[in-house]
Amino acid sequence: MIHLVRPSLGLVGRILIILLLTVTVEFCTSTLLYERASQFSLREDEAHRLAEHLVITRKLIAERPPRERPAMASLLTTDRYDVRWGESLPDPPRMAPELHEMRDQIVSWEPSLADSEMRLQLKSPGLNSMVVGGMTLPDGSWITFGTRDVESGWDLAIGRVILALVPAMALLVIGSLLISNTLKPIRMLAQAAERYGYGDRIILPEVGSGEVLRVVKAFNAMQDRIQRLIQDRTQALAAVGHDLRTPISRLRLRIDMVGDCAARDAMQRDAIEMETMIASLLAFLGGDENDQPRVRSDIAVMAATVVDDATDHGHDVRYEGPEHFDAFVRLYDLKRALDNLVTNALRHARTVTVSLIPMDERVILRVVDDGPGIPEADLEAAKQPFVRLDTARERNTEGLGLGLAIVERIVGAHAGQLRLTNRPEGGLQADIEIPVKGAQKLA
Amino acid sequence: MTSSTILLVEDDPSLRVLTARALQENGYTVRPASTAPEMWIIFNAEPVDLILLDIMLPGTSGIELCRQVRQKSDVPIIFISAKGSETDRVIGLEIGADDYLPKPFSTRELMARVRAVLRRGGMERQSDVSRRNEASFDGWTVNFPRRELTSPTGAIIDLTGAEFDLLSSFVHNAQRVIARERLIELSRTRLGDASDRSIDVLVSRLRRKLQGAGKEAPITTVRGVGYMFNAEVSRS
Repeated sequence: MIHLVRPSLGLVGRILIILLLTVTVEFCTSTLLYERASQFSLREDEAHRLAEHLVITRKLIAERPPRERPAMASLLTTDRYDVRWGESLPDPPRMAPELHEMRDQIVSWEPSLADSEMRLQLKSPGLNSMVVGGMTLPDGSWITFGTRDVESGWDLAIGRVILALVPAMALLVIGSLLISNTLKPIRMLAQAAERYGYGDRIILPEVGSGEVLRVVKAFNAMQDRIQRLIQDRTQALAAVGHDLRTPISRLRLRIDMVGDCAARDAMQRDAIEMETMIASLLAFLGGDENDQPRVRSDIAVMAATVVDDATDHGHDVRYEGPEHFDAFVRLYDLKRALDNLVTNALRHARTVTVSLIPMDERVILRVVDDGPGIPEADLEAAKQPFVRLDTARERNTEGLGLGLAIVERIVGAHAGQLRLTNRPEGGLQADIEIPVKGAQKLA
Repeated sequence: MTSSTILLVEDDPSLRVLTARALQENGYTVRPASTAPEMWIIFNAEPVDLILLDIMLPGTSGIELCRQVRQKSDVPIIFISAKGSETDRVIGLEIGADDYLPKPFSTRELMARVRAVLRRGGMERQSDVSRRNEASFDGWTVNFPRRELTSPTGAIIDLTGAEFDLLSSFVHNAQRVIARERLIELSRTRLGDASDRSIDVLVSRLRRKLQGAGKEAPITTVRGVGYMFNAEVSRS
């Protein structure tokens, strides 16, 4: 099945979009209104000027003899108005209905133009629209005219739009900064929630606005409750574990007094198994070890020592890797983790190889065995606490099934990873990979 | 040979009786005590060769008790604790206990520790070497109470118990040829993790862990006799 992951905008993004939408709508509306109003007044203004110009033009041209009229017309042609004179027009411009109003205005301001048969038309050469028109002189000749500079009006409009856009953009930027700042506690909350459970609790600073503050406070309080709950349970279990050691001690000493050799050995094994369970439970709960500091340790020698110990117990375990490798780790925790992996491997396999592979800013402690491996489906489950896989194969299930869970916890505390894979050539490969910044290789 | 007297301080009555019986069966004289005041009465009344001390006692803690005993006497002390933690072990050894026995233990383990500490106590008094010191050679540092070795780069080098004991023997007998038989004897003082491994294997492992930066470990084989630790050892 394919999951299409829709990219999430995030709260900031959403609020920004809302802001953007509001600003845009507001901007468009106001611009539209403003532009219409200004266009209207512009047109009125224009009409006024046109009217004045036309009156003067008409008067001046009419006073001249027809011979001098074209020269006069060109004299009257200004930056704004184009004026021409003609004896007669082959095709006098028709009247555009939408400019009736304008003509009426012009005529009302300058009643002398009432008998001029004035016609106005809108022409749009390219993007610019202009008003062209014509009117008659008392002797029946025609003056044609056209406005020239409507274009600059449009430039002005664009300038105004841009000018209005600047504060809108500034508003958006300021808004996004403010929103992002307001949501900062939420982001911290998310980060804290993500990290919670992998180590120390994270007390968030109780800042922010109303709702956010409440969430942060609730989160802190929840952390406290969870912490207390875990602590209580852990302490109770650890106390039971410790207390059990005294009766088991008594038991072991009593077992030594049993005459029957076989029975004694069997009972001794049972007692040792109980002890192992308690030890692994305490290790899992962290009830046995106090917080060790990270110290510079030679983990290559540590791996070799784990191998030597296993060899001394009659197992076939080898170490491959450098003689020395320094890293800042919790040495005894890491040793327990590696020891658990080796013990696990030896439970299912005959030969085990431990290797240390230095990498760039990381190091891998690898335990490889020649056993049957773990079914692919169970690889993840194997790391869960209290899980014992494949009870059929495992004749004597030792411990509580905490081995790999303890390893995972220790490795996690080192910001590392535990990876289990089945090797293609058979056997299980367990990798502890931890970052070793500032580590120094020696050999 | 007169039997050694062991002062046993344990608050659990049954465990006290059982431990005492196990020790007696192995030929030791046992003086049991359940609390600190009881211990002091016995301690002041007669000489004892070894104290077996439970770390978790009602009233005065075992650690505090150990400190008090150390101010008065050099008598060997073995800690017994239900906490199997590394920190506890280190604290115990640092304030002057000679060994550490985690609960639960079997008779065999108990006897091994007791015998080893009694024997070592005797030997080290002879050789006039303080165990509560640090020694260094070639940039390496050995912390005897913590049983910790630090490399020239300042990294902790994890050794097995037997390896550390072997190193201690070497450091205490630097620049002297030590016969293999003597080394075997010395390294057997901690029987808790003894096995059939030969001294030569131990030596080769120790060599491997002590070599670094192209430098060989300062342990030379003296053919037909034994080994020699040829490094300048300074104590602090």
